[in-house]
Amino acid sequence: MSPTFASPPIWHLGDFMKTDPEQGTIRISAEDFQKFREFFYRKTGIQFDASKRYFVDKRLVERVEATGTGSFRGYFTMLRFQASGEELQALTNLMTVNETYFFREEYQFRCLVDSLLPEIVERKKNRRPIRIWAIPSSSGEEPYSIAIYLLEHWAGIHEWDVEIIASDIDTRILAQARQGLYSLRSIQHLPSHTLQRYFKRQSGGYQICDDLRQSVEFTRVNLSERADTRGYRDFDVIFCRNLLIYFDDVSRKTATETFYDALRPGGFVCLGHSESMSRSSSLYKVRKFPEAIVYQRPLEAA
Amino acid sequence: MALIKTQCVEPIAEEAREAPRDCAGLISRLAASDPTARRWAARDLVDCPEAAAALVERLKQEVDVSVREVILTTLTSLGDPIAIAGLVDCLRSEDTALRNEAIEAMQQLPDAVAPVMHGLLADPDPDLRIFAVNILESLCHPQVETWLIEVIDQDPHVNVCGAAVDLLGEVGTRNARASLQRLKARFANEPYIRFAADLALGRLHEN
Repeated sequence: MSPTFASPPIWHLGDFMKTDPEQGTIRISAEDFQKFREFFYRKTGIQFDASKRYFVDKRLVERVEATGTGSFRGYFTMLRFQASGEELQALTNLMTVNETYFFREEYQFRCLVDSLLPEIVERKKNRRPIRIWAIPSSSGEEPYSIAIYLLEHWAGIHEWDVEIIASDIDTRILAQARQGLYSLRSIQHLPSHTLQRYFKRQSGGYQICDDLRQSVEFTRVNLSERADTRGYRDFDVIFCRNLLIYFDDVSRKTATETFYDALRPGGFVCLGHSESMSRSSSLYKVRKFPEAIVYQRPLEAA
Repeated sequence: MALIKTQCVEPIAEEAREAPRDCAGLISRLAASDPTARRWAARDLVDCPEAAAALVERLKQEVDVSVREVILTTLTSLGDPIAIAGLVDCLRSEDTALRNEAIEAMQQLPDAVAPVMHGLLADPDPDLRIFAVNILESLCHPQVETWLIEVIDQDPHVNVCGAAVDLLGEVGTRNARASLQRLKARFANEPYIRFAADLALGRLHEN
């Protein structure tokens, strides 16, 4: 599978339905649910507790029907043994809800300013800029959120230069990010003074101010392409949220190895809240900060 | 504001290379003293199909975990018989981390691992047979259930059967029913096997 990240894959699991599913003759038994739950957790790191039963069953039934496998048994066999992993991908997409907006998973930005940057600054021996890589950039909400958060909540911004580079595989979404025009929905979590300070009203919504648009570098990168990522080095922090979940195991491992060489020793990787590096975690030190769990390239490593 | 635009990210210039980036040059860089150089060499060797033997050789002596990880990823991507033989060799290592890494790598290679699976499951060393069952845990191959049934029917070692029966609880169909019942009888004095077999029997895909 060749991973791509054209659209903003940021999602949550709290999508409950109010009515009974139309399951027809396809039934998901308690044993089936249990078996699926364990398998899905092992493959994706996403955990469904009993309260998500309805949510999970409904989507399983939907995929049983869509694949024509006829029963949970047939579907699970396909899911488990399909070498391409296509169906697992389709199901993963269905089990997640895509959306992105400013200050999504804000606790990680808080972690950046309250925990990561103080540590980075503390051990810096030169005045070289602090470098932050946001991948995927998607339509720009994430890198601009980082920029705003630094300006609003980090006093060090007056002493240090910070470079923010945002990358995506999709050139159309990058053009959109550079333009920086957002819907009301996208900016709904921003405090009004932040909105006033960094955005201007446009007929199509809110546009991020020119200064901020100029301060983020947007580049096209396929994370799975060595030639694309080779030049990306010396970063202090990488934000890669809710992307690796869409990769197969080998691609995920390759990506985390790419990040390792893109980071300065001691640099940090922030993943989405339900993601972990599991299989590649031996490369990184797991750091538990008050705000978030973050992965660190060990300091002593070359 | 002190947000600054980055310098343009430029590809690493060829003249900055210390050694040629052809296959022979990359293989020689696997022995470089700098782990970063070894890591980059191991990564770029994915374009060199003949590199598996050199990578396996390096893997056996590599102490830097970050280099080992990249070697394993490259071996997984190469996935040829020499790479598989090298990974099987790692299963016999005393180094637990390396063994686990080899298991994870082999789980990604169903088509390449399938031809050697019978041999692994018949290995004289019961630990190696358990590792083979561990590989089956995440192997996307239609034979998985058949292999597991053969294990619980034939393997004399309780721990090998224990690993297999656990997994049958996930992948077993009605084809495994009789074998699970025979297993319970064969290890009638092993409470764990009886418990695990009952659990698997309750979970079989029967409909």
